[in-house]
Amino acid sequence: MSDRARNAFVLALVTALVLVSLLVTVGIPGVVKAQKTHLGLDLQGGTELVFQARTTSGLPVNGTTLTDTINIMRSRSDQLGVGGVDIRPSGGNQITVSLPNVKNPAQAERVVGVTGQLYFYDWENSVIGTNGQVAGPNDPNVTGGLNAGTPAFGISEYEALARAAKRPAVPACAKHQRAGTTCYAIESAPSGSYYYVNDKTKTVLFGPEPTTAFLAADIKQKNARLPAGARLVYVKPGTVLVQATSAPEVAVPNDFFVLKDDVKLTGKDISNPQVTTDPTQGVAVSFGFKGNGASVFQAVTATLAKRGQNSSLPGAQANLQHFAVTLDGALVTVPSIDFNQFPFGIPSGNGSEITGSFTYASATTLANVLASGALPVKLDEISSQLVSATLGRQALNQGLVAGLAGLGLVALFLLVFYRVLGVIAVSALAIYALYFYALIKLIPVTLTLPGIAGLILTIGVAADANVVIFERVKEESRAGRSPLNAITAGYRRGLGAIIDANVVTFMAAFILFILSQSDVQGFALTLGMGVLVSLFTAVAATRAILGTMGRTRAISRPSALGVTKGRRQWTFDFMGNSRWFFSLSGTILLIGALAIGARGINFGIDFVSGTQIQVQLVRPATPSQVQSTIAALHLKSQGQSIGQPVVQQISSASKSKRINDTFQISTKTLNAQQLGAPGQLGTVEGALNQRFGLNGTPNSTSVGPSFGKTVANSAAVAIIASLLAIAAYIALRFQWKYAVPVMIALMHDLLITAGVYALTGRQVTASTVAALLTILGYSLYDTIIVFDRVRENVQKMQNAAFSQIVNRSMSEVLTRSLATSLCTLLPILALLIFGGATLKDFAFALLVGVASGAYSSIFIASPVLTHWKEREPVYRRRRARIAGEHGGLVPAYATSGAAARETAAVETRRRGRGRLSEPVRPDGGISTGEFRELVRDLHAEPLQRTPQPKPPPQPKAQPRPEPTRDPTADALPEDVVMPAEEASRRRGASKSRNRRRGRPR
Amino acid sequence: MGLLAWVIMGLALWHYTIFLPDRFWGGIVGAFLASIAGAIATGILISVAVHGIAIPGRHATHVATVLYAIPGALVGMALIYAIGAARERAGAQLADGF
Repeated sequence: MSDRARNAFVLALVTALVLVSLLVTVGIPGVVKAQKTHLGLDLQGGTELVFQARTTSGLPVNGTTLTDTINIMRSRSDQLGVGGVDIRPSGGNQITVSLPNVKNPAQAERVVGVTGQLYFYDWENSVIGTNGQVAGPNDPNVTGGLNAGTPAFGISEYEALARAAKRPAVPACAKHQRAGTTCYAIESAPSGSYYYVNDKTKTVLFGPEPTTAFLAADIKQKNARLPAGARLVYVKPGTVLVQATSAPEVAVPNDFFVLKDDVKLTGKDISNPQVTTDPTQGVAVSFGFKGNGASVFQAVTATLAKRGQNSSLPGAQANLQHFAVTLDGALVTVPSIDFNQFPFGIPSGNGSEITGSFTYASATTLANVLASGALPVKLDEISSQLVSATLGRQALNQGLVAGLAGLGLVALFLLVFYRVLGVIAVSALAIYALYFYALIKLIPVTLTLPGIAGLILTIGVAADANVVIFERVKEESRAGRSPLNAITAGYRRGLGAIIDANVVTFMAAFILFILSQSDVQGFALTLGMGVLVSLFTAVAATRAILGTMGRTRAISRPSALGVTKGRRQWTFDFMGNSRWFFSLSGTILLIGALAIGARGINFGIDFVSGTQIQVQLVRPATPSQVQSTIAALHLKSQGQSIGQPVVQQISSASKSKRINDTFQISTKTLNAQQLGAPGQLGTVEGALNQRFGLNGTPNSTSVGPSFGKTVANSAAVAIIASLLAIAAYIALRFQWKYAVPVMIALMHDLLITAGVYALTGRQVTASTVAALLTILGYSLYDTIIVFDRVRENVQKMQNAAFSQIVNRSMSEVLTRSLATSLCTLLPILALLIFGGATLKDFAFALLVGVASGAYSSIFIASPVLTHWKEREPVYRRRRARIAGEHGGLVPAYATSGAAARETAAVETRRRGRGRLSEPVRPDGGISTGEFRELVRDLHAEPLQRTPQPKPPPQPKAQPRPEPTRDPTADALPEDVVMPAEEASRRRGASKSRNRRRGRPR
Repeated sequence: MGLLAWVIMGLALWHYTIFLPDRFWGGIVGAFLASIAGAIATGILISVAVHGIAIPGRHATHVATVLYAIPGALVGMALIYAIGAARERAGAQLADGF
């Protein structure tokens, strides 16, 4: 396919995709509807819960169990009546539930997060008495008699445990149980339960858990430690503890009962649970039976009726027997069976019902839980987040403004710096933005705040690809190529660096997506998508546009490409001065290390657990006033006072009127609303509302210790995996010796960022971790660009010292490197200025990381590579030879190349532009052979060299000199410029260039 | 946290090896590895001696904790330098022999 045809095809494809994207994003009014954008909870408001799953058997949670759990949770959430619920696995054993517009995390948890294990027990024949035996029908002091199951007859958990621990193990009944052997229909704890107790205080510390490992994990998750004297207690299979009340705020001290774990019916035996209202019974949950549930129910109630009748004394009050219903270890109801009314048990043809102290809402929740079935795992809530719709909208607006500002800044930079090329790059950016937006709608990607940050960052990625190519095009143009040839050669030669850099960024994003959690995944997804889309728009699309325009008058002059007459040539001795830059880095790191020791790193609640509340106050307030208001509530978390909360004012909407000031409050974990009670979170909000007035619903996030550990662990794994993958890629594409300096430079960037965080005291959140991981991929961009040129120059400069090669490479790519860094820093700067709190977190880490990355690629990675490579025998020999030629010193730059460049430059100026020879294939650049041949022609008459000083006496172990010196060494691309006179002389000669170059026939 | 501080200290000190002649065994990368390993090693050793068997966590890391890394990093780099210099001398003697 010819270039023209290829360009036409790409342009047609770009246009078609633009039309499709417009269709997806805008639609056609009345014909095609625009796709909806899916906003995350942080942008639209709602509740997000993260649960950790554990099996009741003590076995690890497998994928099937997790999928089954999620399916049941989805079915429950459907009954909540809210749309857009997202339930997804995260990590190996965690489930994230996003409930848009749900403002009560506690209610949401009750609906989707409860296990929902419903068991029916024969109460009197199950309650264990003081002697460790079943109480039976005649021990009302244990069973509660007519008030069966009420807390007043319960005992303390410690006492109940002591009683339960004495009971022998009873096996679960097998399918074909041998007659005469004792067995129970054990459901809740088939392998028994483990607890830790404190005998001194007579309290139960931890448990129940099916294994000691689970018990240890539970302690770890609660970020607690076992006190001295804690004792492990094991309750054997066949005995369980049930609590008369499940809500902590209405619980009474001694409300535990010990039961024989012989379950008569389970939640699996019932069908079609519904809420019913009865004038006499009040609100109840009615249900039918499945399978043989109906007959079992009737048989059990018949037994209860018969026992009640037998144990009742004539003339005395009837000794009614009871049927207990428990849900997740708590008594729901303990109804009695009236033997006068149902002497043969309750006929279950019409089902039955559970009555209790239900409200309509709690009955509905129970019915929903029963309808969807019990979860196969136990779920522990490890994080909950409530985002108000107002603050979500505000965050979305801030994100959009930051994005637009970032796009505008990058566009302005490109236009000023690259003129016509800049216009094309800006068009490509606009196309990129359109494609990206369409993809977000089409896939669909749930757009979160971190996702927006990733999106804004990819604007920089997209512009960087253009900068890398345009700088190369400018170089080719300065070398005397026509604009069309410069464009062709620029794209061809710049493509390798772009692909390498983008592959590495994509790899970092991919690894981040696979290994990270929640918000970080959204960030990684948008970053990865952005890299792919930008490769298409910034490389293929702009190439086609430029290729087409290159034949027009618009790009007929080099100035249209941004090529100025006075060439900027860096002549700085980068390698010679690297010691000063090393010292600078070393000093910054020293300060950072000392800052970590002195101030520590300020970890957010994502890592240290606790509750964070973001409130907008109506009346004026200062952080200390907010702090004292909360401290005055004397709240306790896990038995300890929450102390003084940390209060920060994060924004002030109007400084003159001081209204709607936003504060961020960080405290120890506060509980949320439970069973109608406001909970500690509600208490805090109420107090603030009373004193200062609240504007809208506050945002709140509660994170358990295990969530922070999971985030930190997954980040550590992602960092190590990224480093390994990136090192492997660089080793493959370059050389393994190139990978080591890259790793050192990355370490430098990450540790400097950590030091800066310690020094500034900024809070490290999950967003910071995402940003740090992005730095991994992104700070490589510069390093790869520099190393790509070093790799190229190593081939060209076959007689130069490695430090000279690196110096030359640096001088060639420094402008390009600075431009790409600026292109990345501009959108980050926009995020820092216009973004909200979350986006600013990202932006700060990225700002430090990207700036440090640009610095380290030039002043750390390259010197390390130089020092290491110069130890190789070939470069040692070269260095010794050059030093010998220059009085013991190695010049910063290779001298023969400089001389050639001067000659070429003089010739170019004298003869004017456009009269230079060109390679055989105008669109193909030149090969290495052609390059050498052309330079050899240029130096047909040897350059006048300044007499070299006499070499110093050679040491005894003289390295072997290289056999011959190639005069083409150290030539720049410009050196291939053939003076016009020479070219015309050649043209006048009888043989064509092709024939001269071709093999002899 | 202590481990992080020691690694940063090791890395910081390594930066100053640029002022020394490159006689490190394994070159500048050898010096890097020695500095980091040395920093961690003495960090752990001194920490164990002072605080018992545990790497100082978030609240137990102080300025003094960070300084534990210095002797290890310096000794590590000195050791690698000595080995490198010795190998260089041996190589030169070998070349003389030929």
